[in-house]
Amino acid sequence: MLEADADAGLVRLAQSGDARAFEALVVKYQRRIARHVARYVKRAGDVEDVVQEAFIRAYRGLGSFRGESAFYSWLYRIATNSALGFLKRSPGPVVLQEDLRDEGDERGDGPFEPGVSDGEDPERLLLAKQISGAVDKALARLQPELAQALLLYEVEGKTYKEIAQMLAVPIGTVRTRIFRAREFIAQRLEPVVGHQRPRRW
Amino acid sequence: MVNTTLKVSLLLDGELEPQEVAPSLAQVAADAGLRDRFTLYGLAGDALRGNGTPDDGFSRRIFERMRREGVAIEPGFDPLAG
Repeated sequence: MLEADADAGLVRLAQSGDARAFEALVVKYQRRIARHVARYVKRAGDVEDVVQEAFIRAYRGLGSFRGESAFYSWLYRIATNSALGFLKRSPGPVVLQEDLRDEGDERGDGPFEPGVSDGEDPERLLLAKQISGAVDKALARLQPELAQALLLYEVEGKTYKEIAQMLAVPIGTVRTRIFRAREFIAQRLEPVVGHQRPRRW
Repeated sequence: MVNTTLKVSLLLDGELEPQEVAPSLAQVAADAGLRDRFTLYGLAGDALRGNGTPDDGFSRRIFERMRREGVAIEPGFDPLAG
């Protein structure tokens, strides 16, 4: 798998004891892992506990990761186990079933909407909306060739090499376009999330 | 500066040359402005995938807990076993 290599450099550093490399991987994947865990675990506080446990288990077991799958796939499996372990430990006959029934009432028995847990702080939800709005707005103003490169990478999951082939440009151009697109968006995200800076990595 | 922030973008995507990873990471980890870039570029990507939830210290609480509990790599520990 091509993605198997994407985190290889950071993983290797983390395995050799560079904690900052693991921190970078946490920053990179915490939202994706939290969204995955939220499919199993409903309460925001429990989601955070389970995600913490998953990352801690991953760090303790870094030595056992041999790169046979992508690092993210490995992490995802650990998070799945942590979430299932949590559900097993806390069958919560009252709380959990109550939560599930509420969800059933509200949404029929349709699929759980990822990323939104019960008990989600309204302020967080508002901020999430503002982030999404700022990104959409930035994207609309972005030079089309920059937006195209970023979307191919982030949304379509194409590699730099594939994008270069698709757009018939050198890979260096792909690097620059993705970077410039991100920078354009980041500048517009900063005013929205700047107040969180002291609490971030 | 552009070259440095470009490297942040490449670090995030695993697109640096292998020998560039360690020095770039060291640079990013030591510089709040570059850590910001790393964080915001990641947030932008997640937001494009419909998952732009704010980081209200979520990552930092993980690191703090790891330090508090003295979490270390344990040879022989398989997080997928059991």
